Amino acid sequence: MGAVTYPNDKVLKFVDDSFVPVQIQVSNAALMNQFKVNWTPTIIVLDADGNEVHRVVGFLPPEEFIPTFMVAKGKWHFNTEVHPEAQGIFDGALRDYPDSAAAAEAVFFMGVSRYKQTHDPKPLREAYETLTARFPGSEWTKRAAPYRLIPE
Amino acid sequence: MARNISWLDDLAKAKDRARNTKKPVLLDFFNPQ
Repeated sequence: MGAVTYPNDKVLKFVDDSFVPVQIQVSNAALMNQFKVNWTPTIIVLDADGNEVHRVVGFLPPEEFIPTFMVAKGKWHFNTEVHPEAQGIFDGALRDYPDSAAAAEAVFFMGVSRYKQTHDPKPLREAYETLTARFPGSEWTKRAAPYRLIPE
Repeated sequence: MARNISWLDDLAKAKDRARNTKKPVLLDFFNPQ
């Protein structure tokens, strides 16, 4: 990550604009144990109270790092019920990185966020239909499968 | 000269800053070797 992804200009700007970045060496056994980390790189998004929002293990190239952590930031807003901001970030990830590995998760959480904001279940079914059409092999498509039962 | 991400090295400080800036923490565990 330090050789390829973090020096990338877009990644650098994205991280500094969107997060408070902190790097901990594997020699810090206390934090490695606290967060149950046993492989690097491991990148965890936390809220200000230390609650885990999202975790990625393994290398991500710049074109996957940005949408992956856009979705993570959207989930951070989602967890505090700030749905317009969450949906704006999910939408941005889908618009700018439609073919990334994170796109299916963005579709899933966009649907759930819209449902939680409006209490209308139709966005859940729409998310399932989009996932089935665009990402038929994704785990997020499987997780959304019950939403196919929601009436149109 | 290339810029670098402004990494902190203290999680407690990062959480304080996250609270003040209303941003999430990006915690990267890395092996410098």
